[in-house]
Amino acid sequence: MKQSRWDALTSRQPALFALILLVLSIVINFILQPNMFARETLNSNMRVFLPIILMAIGQAIVILGGGIDISVGGIVSIINTVLATRVGLDGSAERMWQFVFMSLLAGIFAGAINGFFIAYLRLQPIITTYATSFLYAGFALFILPNPGGGIPANIAALYRDSTPLNLPLAFYIIAILLLVWLYISSTRYGKFLYAVGGKPEAAYETAVPVTWIRFSTYVISGLMAALAGIAITMLSGSGNADIGNPMTLNSITAVVIGGNAMSGGVGGVVGPVMGAITLGIIQNIISFANINTWWETLVKATIIVMALAAPGAINLMRRRRS
Amino acid sequence: MKRISISPPVAALMLAIILFLLSGLLPNGYGNDLNVARAQSLNILRLAVFLGVIAAGQTLVIISGFEGIDLSAGSIVTLTAIFTYVIVKGDDNKVLLALLVSLLVGAFIGLINGAGITFLKISPFVMTLGMSGVVTGAIIIANHGNVSGKVAPIMTRLIARPLSPRFPIPNALIIWFIFGFLMWLLLERTTFGKNLFAIGVNRVTAKLSGVNVTLMNLAAYSLAGALAGFGGFLVIGNTGVVLLQLGQPFLFPSIAAVAVGGTLLSGGKGSYWGTMAGAIVLTLLTSLLTTMQMPDSVRRMVLGGTLLILISIYGRQRALRQ
Amino acid sequence: MTGSLSAQNIVKHYGGVVALSDGNLDVHAHEVVALVGANGSGKSTMSKVINGVVVLDGGQLLLDGNPVQFSSPQAAKNVGIATVFQELSLVPQMTVAENIWLTREPLNQFGIVNRKVVKARTEELLSLFEGTFKTDLNPDSPVASLSPDEKQIIEILKAISFDPWLIILDEATASLDSRQVQRLFELVAKWKELGRAIVFVSHRMEEIFRIADKYSVLRNGRTVGAGNIKDINEKQLVKLMIEKESVLGFLRGEAKSDERIEKEISLEAENLTTESLRGVSFKIHKGELVGIGGLRGQGQRHLLHSLFGDVPYSGTVKLFNKEVHFKHPREAMKNGFALVPGDRAKEGLLYIRSILDNLLLPSWRRYGLPLKVDKAKKDATQVGSNLNLKMAGLDEPVSSLSGGNAQKIVIGKWLMRDPQVLLLDDPTKGVDVGTKAEFYALLTRLSEEGKTILFYSSDDEELIGLCDRVLVIYDGMIRTELSGETLTKQNLIAASLGVAHAAREGGTQ
Repeated sequence: MKQSRWDALTSRQPALFALILLVLSIVINFILQPNMFARETLNSNMRVFLPIILMAIGQAIVILGGGIDISVGGIVSIINTVLATRVGLDGSAERMWQFVFMSLLAGIFAGAINGFFIAYLRLQPIITTYATSFLYAGFALFILPNPGGGIPANIAALYRDSTPLNLPLAFYIIAILLLVWLYISSTRYGKFLYAVGGKPEAAYETAVPVTWIRFSTYVISGLMAALAGIAITMLSGSGNADIGNPMTLNSITAVVIGGNAMSGGVGGVVGPVMGAITLGIIQNIISFANINTWWETLVKATIIVMALAAPGAINLMRRRRS
Repeated sequence: MKRISISPPVAALMLAIILFLLSGLLPNGYGNDLNVARAQSLNILRLAVFLGVIAAGQTLVIISGFEGIDLSAGSIVTLTAIFTYVIVKGDDNKVLLALLVSLLVGAFIGLINGAGITFLKISPFVMTLGMSGVVTGAIIIANHGNVSGKVAPIMTRLIARPLSPRFPIPNALIIWFIFGFLMWLLLERTTFGKNLFAIGVNRVTAKLSGVNVTLMNLAAYSLAGALAGFGGFLVIGNTGVVLLQLGQPFLFPSIAAVAVGGTLLSGGKGSYWGTMAGAIVLTLLTSLLTTMQMPDSVRRMVLGGTLLILISIYGRQRALRQ
Repeated sequence: MTGSLSAQNIVKHYGGVVALSDGNLDVHAHEVVALVGANGSGKSTMSKVINGVVVLDGGQLLLDGNPVQFSSPQAAKNVGIATVFQELSLVPQMTVAENIWLTREPLNQFGIVNRKVVKARTEELLSLFEGTFKTDLNPDSPVASLSPDEKQIIEILKAISFDPWLIILDEATASLDSRQVQRLFELVAKWKELGRAIVFVSHRMEEIFRIADKYSVLRNGRTVGAGNIKDINEKQLVKLMIEKESVLGFLRGEAKSDERIEKEISLEAENLTTESLRGVSFKIHKGELVGIGGLRGQGQRHLLHSLFGDVPYSGTVKLFNKEVHFKHPREAMKNGFALVPGDRAKEGLLYIRSILDNLLLPSWRRYGLPLKVDKAKKDATQVGSNLNLKMAGLDEPVSSLSGGNAQKIVIGKWLMRDPQVLLLDDPTKGVDVGTKAEFYALLTRLSEEGKTILFYSSDDEELIGLCDRVLVIYDGMIRTELSGETLTKQNLIAASLGVAHAAREGGTQ
């Protein structure tokens, strides 16, 4: 069956669409905000985008493996509330790093719980992580019933003002993670991941350790959510048990925009990272567009739904044409 | 793997009875006083009505299979509650209109859900989660500056009050039983119901047996939305006060209720009686926690944990190795 | 190097269904053993027990005389057992090279997959089948873009890529064309010389006698015979495979009366084209029992499904001389069509629902609102007894039925509607012999009642014994039409392989 060149290109490089969207949104943002690439603005933007980018990376890996993680928002909330209460506004730097380390462990542990139920007990990913999302969100609320607490101001400032070589700190973090992904995807583990997400029965018959691979994706997602929790705590400087709630859907949307197939086995991590940045820029554009505050929530939500609908709409048009 | 031999709705009812007996033993419980026990049990049942009606739509989409779920139910409830409140303005004559509007608004939102899921192939979880955000945006717009309105006396009479002093059965309960009977009719004694189960089990077989899968899908989600709208109408009739988070607390329990009631989360099997039993169990659980003066966070954790346990028992999927 | 594998008294059941009750197989280096059996005899289960995909419930496996237990497919691989599957174990989203080397990718010192080595070795493997595939098959082609025969070749290459000593070919030739089969057999001969052992699971007599040294026959889950190929002939082998001489014996004798076939043309197609069909045209008379033949996957499924409105098509279809074009099965049903699909588990039944729900699925609309369930039960019981259905009760789930009875449900739900045109896709696949006979009687009776029947079968005996005419499809087109005297096994096989209507003497031997 002949495919048009456009179709062939986009099915081989799923992230292409994400790239186009990203460029488009940057252009529009630039028009509305000409100083977009100035050091201060760039730094500020990247800091704000970083949490979602981190979550998108984790979510991308889970979705590649054929699953999905709805509990990431809850994990972010736990990390945030723990840091805000245990370290506190007048905590020492040492204590901060201590709890940063514990947060990573907590994220891994939360991910392992998800992984256990889904990979070993073979429960459905969506409903399982939905249940754990409630569990985790409840736990965050338990730790910090009312917004408050915080992290030491100097540490928040560290995050805010670090610009090694005039580039935002966030850039380096993302670059490192992308390099790590590049390595992982070139190893056997990477191949296993795609196989498990693409066709689990075939992977099993080829003796791919399906259960362990699935488990590992949830651990990675939990770890990335913990990193995102740390990032957002550094950003806001304070604690709020509801902080993770809206982030879950954003992480999924970023992955969808990024060209990964929701069914698994197709896509990568670069696309979702671009998707996350695009989402962030779109939020910026909306702020600049001077929309009535009352309408802001509706507009943002509608954009998310449209972003989620885009790949499906494109596929529909493709099918109609052929 | 052990097979559970008791039918799930019966098991749920037994669980409800055990929970109720336990609640009597608590410090604030009814102890040995039969009158108080009866009053409390009727109150629980009355409270369960609202969850039960909201969970009806959830039951339908879950039966329809393909990981069906409706996360927009909570926000639909709030929106239609607001509309009802505003339309009625204390006038008995406007009640029917308000009911109609609630049903239509709900159905419309449900239709959008169904369209995205069916035509754009967006997973139900993601689509309804996205729409939930859009509806919330609409709620903010509808609610800004505090809406003025009032519930009509006939609504309070019909929903919040008992039948008569001699028969202290809450009217809401009677409405619920009629509703439950209608749901049973729909599911077990109409072609629609039979087709719904069919597409929940195997969409290919259904299509090859003449079922219009697309239409059924759209109908299921639209109906679910309408039922959520009906739920919103009832809820405002009961509370008489509009809150931004009016509907949200019902969402997670509605899914848990369906699961407790034995409807397979993978689709194709289940009943509304089960959901009703599940709604009673969940209302009991929540009320127990309130009596024990547990904070909201604990309630959430318990709910999340309960669902997790439930799916571990009922929801395990096929092993790759046989 | 390993010398022998012996499976003794293997028992395996899936839930309530017994797949193997006494399976035996002996394989040695330097030889090809044909594992033979009819559909549902347990052949595939046997190979799955040997390669570790399923756990055996009884019996034992001996490797060079020592008992072994395979806890997973990897365990079997570790001792050098490779399998070429019938249902492919390829990941469609990955490339040819990625699929072949999955879990055994050559790595460099950092643990990264060495792409150069992968590409070189893949090309080496591909060269084994050089000249036998149509398109430009290269290591980076995504498997999803390959045709079924190419996918099968990749499956074969994947199996031999780790240099196994025992290779199981499970119906591996089903999707291959004659040139590819020839090449495969050349490779098999080479492997034999090198000391490998091959298990050839098949029911294709011609190939078995061409390639095998030994045979082992399974029937209804038990091994009923084994020995050297040179000591047996085709007829004797077939006799071991099936209980009766021929199920169709009673039909063979009867002359197919032409009075049954009326003059009126009930179903006509002109230039019917789909993704797999390249312009199919035919005319079928009322009361005719027409068969579709050919190797699986040549477009037969699309033919049946497009007539039923399940697959979009271009071209003209006429029902009783009136043009129709069904866009959905519901439209076809309203016009008296019925389709019994090829895979009852995936396309024909709702496994967890009751027998009643399955039988009534297309027809609930006729029972009013609210549904008159009692009447439905009565009608369903009637159909059940007409079909001699053995069930515990209408409310039992369909999963409780045996293969033959389950297939009766698939047909039964249509018989309840008294269809005019019956389309069937391999209706007796996986059905026991007794039920097969019942089906043949049923189909004959229905055609005598004036129904038009069009059905695909992969069983040549069936087509010859039952049909008035057989349309053989090859590569999306009707190659040959056989009827009366020309409807012979030789002609059928030749036509299936793409050879146009062969002369009476000659044909493939």
